[in-house]
Amino acid sequence: MSSVIGIDLGTTNTVVAAVRDGIAVTLPDPQGNRLIPSCVSFHPAGSTLVGRAALERRLVDAPSTVYSVKRLVGRTWDSPEVQQARDKLPFELCEGAQGATLVAARGEKYSLPEISAFVLRYAKAVAEAALGEPVERAVITVPANFNDLQRAATKMAGKLAGLEVLRILNEPTAAALAYGPPARARETVAVYDLGGGTFDVTILDVAGNVFEVVSTAGDTALGGDDIDVIVAEHMAGDLLKKHRFDARANGLAFGQLRLFAERLKRELSTSEEDTIESDDLVTGDRGSTVAWQFRMTRPELEWASLPVVDRTFAVCQQALDAAGVKARDLDRVLLVGGATRMPMVGRKVEQFFGRAPVVQINPEEVVALGAAIQASLLDPARRKGAEPIVHPQVDEHSVVAAPADEAPAQRELPDLPVVHPLKGGPAKPAAAEFLPASGGKPLVFDLPHDASAPTFDLELSLPEPPPAAQPPPIPSKRTLRLKYPPPLASELQQPPALPPPAVPPPAPIRAAPAPAPPRQEAAPGPPRPAPLLIDVTPLSLGVETVGGFCDTLIDANTPVPCDRTRSFSTASDGQRAVRVRVAQGLSNRFDENTFLGELELSGLAAAPRGETQIAVTFEIDADGILNVRARDVKTGQETVARLQLVGAQTGASDIEAMQARQAAHPVAL
Amino acid sequence: MASKDALFLYLSSLDKKNYYEILRASKDADLAAIKSAFHAFSLLYHPDRYVDSPQEVRALAAEIYKRGVEAYRSLSRRDARARYDRSLARGSIRHDARLPTPLPPRPLPRTLEMIARTARAKKFADKADRLISIGKLENARVELVSACQCEPDNEELAERLRLLYEALALEGMV
Repeated sequence: MSSVIGIDLGTTNTVVAAVRDGIAVTLPDPQGNRLIPSCVSFHPAGSTLVGRAALERRLVDAPSTVYSVKRLVGRTWDSPEVQQARDKLPFELCEGAQGATLVAARGEKYSLPEISAFVLRYAKAVAEAALGEPVERAVITVPANFNDLQRAATKMAGKLAGLEVLRILNEPTAAALAYGPPARARETVAVYDLGGGTFDVTILDVAGNVFEVVSTAGDTALGGDDIDVIVAEHMAGDLLKKHRFDARANGLAFGQLRLFAERLKRELSTSEEDTIESDDLVTGDRGSTVAWQFRMTRPELEWASLPVVDRTFAVCQQALDAAGVKARDLDRVLLVGGATRMPMVGRKVEQFFGRAPVVQINPEEVVALGAAIQASLLDPARRKGAEPIVHPQVDEHSVVAAPADEAPAQRELPDLPVVHPLKGGPAKPAAAEFLPASGGKPLVFDLPHDASAPTFDLELSLPEPPPAAQPPPIPSKRTLRLKYPPPLASELQQPPALPPPAVPPPAPIRAAPAPAPPRQEAAPGPPRPAPLLIDVTPLSLGVETVGGFCDTLIDANTPVPCDRTRSFSTASDGQRAVRVRVAQGLSNRFDENTFLGELELSGLAAAPRGETQIAVTFEIDADGILNVRARDVKTGQETVARLQLVGAQTGASDIEAMQARQAAHPVAL
Repeated sequence: MASKDALFLYLSSLDKKNYYEILRASKDADLAAIKSAFHAFSLLYHPDRYVDSPQEVRALAAEIYKRGVEAYRSLSRRDARARYDRSLARGSIRHDARLPTPLPPRPLPRTLEMIARTARAKKFADKADRLISIGKLENARVELVSACQCEPDNEELAERLRLLYEALALEGMV
């Protein structure tokens, strides 16, 4: 029987992993890369490029190179995210049937699941090449906060890619699974997952081999990409000032700036400053090229990123409140997602949760590893002998090892000042640390110059420090050592070999209790029993009632699978069908929630109004996807219940057309 | 894992159980105990534990599991639990007690009374049938054991007794 794999289908990168001989390992492409850019490019010669090859065409063939679809998948044409994205993305979006969003490239129109299907097919090919056998079944991860439309679209993408989707798994839950069972009998764990396009925070209770999600909160339109856009806008402002060129009005130029911004952002995770130089972004008079330089320091980047990062903490508080726990009740905080490589994110997470976050597994691979573990548990063919199923370990490659000697390249950085409105604050304006000593073009900050007054109030949206008479101690030189192999900018090279396994566990920044025993030990210890994941639905499900209100059927954070049955009846004599509108969201006003679609209960016998009673069971399955069944209460007969999701093309002919388009575009490694 | 018929029997008996009984927690259990009970319940009935089993069995396990989720949602939150305790005192054991749950349509083909052949066995078997229909599986077992003792060569009856034992094992009573 074929293998099962786990796929982290990310906004920026896709990673594929599998469990081999009891170890979860990410699978590299033939060049050795484990991150596959989630990018598809339609070449004029007719071939379809995916991954690195597609990304390289992002500037030369922008209108035909599609990326970041995850931010749009499952969204209707008239949704604000899609409308805003139209200006920011260099490829063309257009409207399809039933309000769907389509991508137009090289004369063809593709639905968003089809674009994701190209990436999944490439990931499937990578897995098959690495494993040496066919792969037909996979667990695909989604942000925990994805709604029903987004999940259904992702599942459709898997189907179009020729995969049987064993589970649609939430990314933070996958990460918790990869980190494994707790060191103690039970632990409360928070997973902070900041990816390219989405943010999730999930609180779990882990006891023995049960991973129970208690609450989850998120923002599916918040991620590292937003930081890129902010930095690109700074660059555009700089260009406008220096060369009177408005890059914001030019999709191609802005796309170029976003690429530069992304590069700069990654470089500044390990360097103090970096400069972007370009000769061909702007052409001057008579076709001459204009040289342009843009320099940014890490503090400047952190200042620019603040709005994005601070938004995550409001969401964190939401998750804690829904779980009924305080930050101090948590035992561990895990960092997941490429954007958490930014030192500022680690610092702020530590400040908010009051403990150092754990980054023992590569934050860009951990989700795929968890998905692979879940896939191995859901594979019915796994049980060949009578061996007990165990919780697979994670391959050494992805485990972050503490360097034997503290790497000298890790510089100690001054922290962003915590401002206390007291006399006797910092003696000199902290702003002085952030202006470059010489040269360069600093971003313009609006700073008061009074030394005794507070300078930055950067910690505005953080919970207030306890109102003590004396200031809490400000640690003088706090460092956040992010212990994974730098640099990110060059994924093209082979990842450096890790030091041999016998290393001490990474030391936390404070004298916090030691984290779980290191995984790098040669003898893995007694096998851990097979885990069970109890996940939840992130959003409340409701139906529209009289007056435009939304009547909740299933609350947010209810464990799945779950169901609720509600009775509906006819409003007029002889009515043959009943229509019910369904939405997900927290508001009690139906229009403020995300409209999922209309449920049609048809084939009803003609009867006086109110006499026909239909019991409709709304079920949310383990994927977090809604299924509906209906039954006539009097006769006990099943009636037809059809839920048409908005923007989804689920008709047989639609699916055939999509499958034909996939077949017409072969995808090769 | 458990067989299809045993699961169906157990699922039918859940209709008569209140939320504490479903999770096997005491009425004065604190949140940690409710959580542990739910974890133990999940390890038994979560559909992911039935990956090796045929689709029908998995579906039955899912139905049982969903009842446990319903119970857990009420008992794990203080306000919801208070409300449930009050409604329990008034005699209603479920939220939407008005609507019977749409059980998967699979009634057991023959009643015990029909399987038993002698008059004495039929009396015990009939009692067992009635006890099963009100969810008292343990009492039904006693009756069915008596029926089997009357007819030691009735294999079908013995098979049904074995099924009942399986269902009781699910209840944790054997």
